[in-house]
Amino acid sequence: MIGVKQNLIRNFCIIAHIDHGKSTLADRILQLTGAVSDREMRAQILDSMDIERERGITIKAQAVRVFYTAKDGETYQLNLIDTPGHVDFSYEVSRSLAACEGALLVVDASQGIEAQTLANVYLAIEGDLEVIPVLNKIDLPAADPELHGRAVAELIGGDPEDVLRISAKTGMGIQEVLESVVARVPAPTGNADGPPRALIFDSVYDQYQGVVAFVRVMDGEFREGDKLLAMQTGLTVEMSTIGVMTPTMVRTGRLAAGETGYIVTGLKAVGDLRVGDTLTIANNRASEALPGYREVKPMVFCGLFPVDADDYPAMREALEKLTLNDASLQWEPETSQALGFGFRCGFLGLLHMDIVRERLEREYDLDLLATTPNVEYEVTTTAKTELKVRSPADLPAANHIETVREPYVRCTVLVPQDGVGAVMGLCQDRRGVFVTMEPIENRLQIVYDMPLAEIVMDFYDQLKSRTKGYASLDYELVGYRESPLVKLDILLAGDAVDALSMIVHKDLAYPRGKALVERLQKTIPRQMIEVPIQAAVGGKILARETVKAIRKDVLAKCYGGDISRKRKLLEKQKEGKKRMKQFGSVEVPQEAFLSVLTLGTTGDGNKR
Amino acid sequence: MNTAAREGAVRHLYVHLPFCASRCGYCAFVVEVGGRDRRDAYLGALLAESGTQSAVLGSLDTVYFGGGTPTLMRPHRIAALLDAVRPSLAAGAEVSIEANPETVDREHLEALVAAGVTRVSIGAQTFQPELLATLDRAATPDQVRAAVSCAREAGFASVSIDLLFGVPGQTTEGLADDIAQAIALRVDHISWYELELKPGAALTRRGAVLPDDDWAADAYETIVASLEGAGYRWYETANFARPGHECRHSLAYWGAADYLGIGVGAVSTIDGERRRNAPGVDRYIAAEGTPERALEHLDTDTQRRERWMLALRLDEPLDLAWSGPPDHPDALERLVDLGLIERVGAQISLSRHGRFVQNAVLSQLMEYA
Repeated sequence: MIGVKQNLIRNFCIIAHIDHGKSTLADRILQLTGAVSDREMRAQILDSMDIERERGITIKAQAVRVFYTAKDGETYQLNLIDTPGHVDFSYEVSRSLAACEGALLVVDASQGIEAQTLANVYLAIEGDLEVIPVLNKIDLPAADPELHGRAVAELIGGDPEDVLRISAKTGMGIQEVLESVVARVPAPTGNADGPPRALIFDSVYDQYQGVVAFVRVMDGEFREGDKLLAMQTGLTVEMSTIGVMTPTMVRTGRLAAGETGYIVTGLKAVGDLRVGDTLTIANNRASEALPGYREVKPMVFCGLFPVDADDYPAMREALEKLTLNDASLQWEPETSQALGFGFRCGFLGLLHMDIVRERLEREYDLDLLATTPNVEYEVTTTAKTELKVRSPADLPAANHIETVREPYVRCTVLVPQDGVGAVMGLCQDRRGVFVTMEPIENRLQIVYDMPLAEIVMDFYDQLKSRTKGYASLDYELVGYRESPLVKLDILLAGDAVDALSMIVHKDLAYPRGKALVERLQKTIPRQMIEVPIQAAVGGKILARETVKAIRKDVLAKCYGGDISRKRKLLEKQKEGKKRMKQFGSVEVPQEAFLSVLTLGTTGDGNKR
Repeated sequence: MNTAAREGAVRHLYVHLPFCASRCGYCAFVVEVGGRDRRDAYLGALLAESGTQSAVLGSLDTVYFGGGTPTLMRPHRIAALLDAVRPSLAAGAEVSIEANPETVDREHLEALVAAGVTRVSIGAQTFQPELLATLDRAATPDQVRAAVSCAREAGFASVSIDLLFGVPGQTTEGLADDIAQAIALRVDHISWYELELKPGAALTRRGAVLPDDDWAADAYETIVASLEGAGYRWYETANFARPGHECRHSLAYWGAADYLGIGVGAVSTIDGERRRNAPGVDRYIAAEGTPERALEHLDTDTQRRERWMLALRLDEPLDLAWSGPPDHPDALERLVDLGLIERVGAQISLSRHGRFVQNAVLSQLMEYA
């Protein structure tokens, strides 16, 4: 059953908002189709699984092949391709979509469409994918299939009658979904005899096998032993094995036009096989790479510093390991007068940043301090040199700057009618420029152009809190625009703390600075002496708060029987100080840095 | 270890007398409520332990009977204990006993003086009846005043009272009254502690709420200033004395001297080793003078850190030659700059403000880990 004619192949993916039932539906599809080909597939799965178990390979299936015998009597090869779910990874999503001819648009029948779903639907329509609308969870009492079905049909320009109504939980309607995939998703139409081309839509690093690429073969055929060429990077690649996921790895020795599968290479870093790149065969190379490749650039930057300076080498090693599997993570050493040695890291977005930080802390057992996230600015100096500034510390003095440009995003928010005021207020506060507003089913779609720097400052949390969780957000980069930006410094006991500096719009410097020192004042515990906290721009103090001095810190009774216990109390107190950084005579706890990190409220004049 | 050479060097003896009539609300000590029928057996075990430990004792400068409620032991029993160590007692030794006001009368206190007790520390805690109730204290303010005057008449060389601040429900006015009454008693020595809610104490279990930090800081500052104004020397974090009435036994602890503790739960520190007798009065009695002990070896760094922790409680400077260096000498400079520490040559002392924030200073100087 390995080799199948292209007309019996269907490549599709599932577009859904988090919690709208994507993985439940995927599980149901595997279950239903797995039962059909139970016997013939079992042997293969077991064979390969033994090896995998031995070697501890646990690669998540990025594309699963199943076989489905449809009502027309034909057995189809269905390739279900996974798509990342978050706004940070929209390029990756677009490449996964490019590997498909169709998409199941799964919408919760009680909740309706969300902004990210909308963005992915537009991507799918742009990519000429056949979109099959599915309302899930129709068994829920709150389901409103009439309303949401009409809206979904309208969104994709279809007939409400064609919107499938299912419950992935109970299994209702799954067969109809598969029948629709077979009937409506076009078969691949690649040139089976042409020079081979395969689209890489994901790649992972496995410590035993090296880099594994997940590919969709567009034209021609790939066989084990072929010498590969990655057309964008120009890298020649040795292939070790080739096969499909069922969902375990099953070696097939070949992949033909229209098929989806994996290629194991001996490469050491996923950066060598980039998502969107085209693989061809070195001695039978295609003349043109597949369209849509883009070099992924980090958009959000922050400094990460080990709390314990001794962890610096371990942190470098951890970053090296993470980079093996994450081509979009960038990092370079950075030294901060306040935080010591660390790294300035670049991420695709805030979620990506959180994921990396969490992995460093959890998987590599590192205690980290993170600076305020920021974006990359373009600066033209008065001497007409062009600079890229990723860290507030690198911003030249104001009198040396001619212009500063910052990245803008087009930001789409979906919100119920009663949340419109809150959303527009927030967008205005964040320097947003109104673009459009239009109704989408029972909600409004509000579009603003906004500096990315404003988004990275807890915009999403603010949006959620101001709309009681009902708003959903998507954004995409629309380019750089000139802005009057200044560097806001924070001074503790008169000394600027570089880790707390930020680049802000000059009109927001005062409210931000004020909010910042207020928040620091609340999170920095009493010190041994009174400590002024000041916000300043270019030496001019904008706001000031004072951390009060400790007045009493003694151990009450301390006689012969108490000495060991009192000593242990002091040890415990010391333990609490481990997460503190000392700036001169001021001790700043990590929460203080975090309080600045989540500074969004700043100057919005509306604190939580 | 050269223990033989150190034998006979300990000059301070603590005797733990665990019996109490009832447990106070803030108490989490090793105490034994009731136990009237076991007091002679306990006395026998104490005498046995002092016998097994006699070799470590040198010329005793201080003896301290602490509790529990030591005055629940009749004076003849205290006399018997003192008789057992009398050959070791130095001339002019300080012999202290803790007393609960409601347990003593003139006759009782005179008998203690006759037995050789020179100093009494009376547990007053507060003069506010409603706070005494909160603390589950049995004595009334009148009984406290009566006990103090009886102690004077009985002829103790030093009379001390114990007080608490930061009691749940304590008001600024109530505190001012406590201060005025304490001063009016014209005692020789006052210990004034901030109430701690220890795990296991009844107040803690009842979910009592302590006054806030600023109130407690105000209270502490007021107490210190008022007692100093009345002629007391603030010679230790929580202790005040008329000149010459400082508690020598306590000063030994704060000077990191060796001491022997006998009795249930008692702690000794001798020659770099700290040992704690096991809890449980019945087990202690059954052990006939050789109770089980938990041992803790104090390495030289721990000893050095303890010297700093203890000596900075005092108003007298610490000598670096005696204490050893701090773990963070650079912090010393910074603390001097901040006005928290005063330094003259090798003499280190906390400034007045520094004494109020002693822990914060210590945590900058030392690596308690």
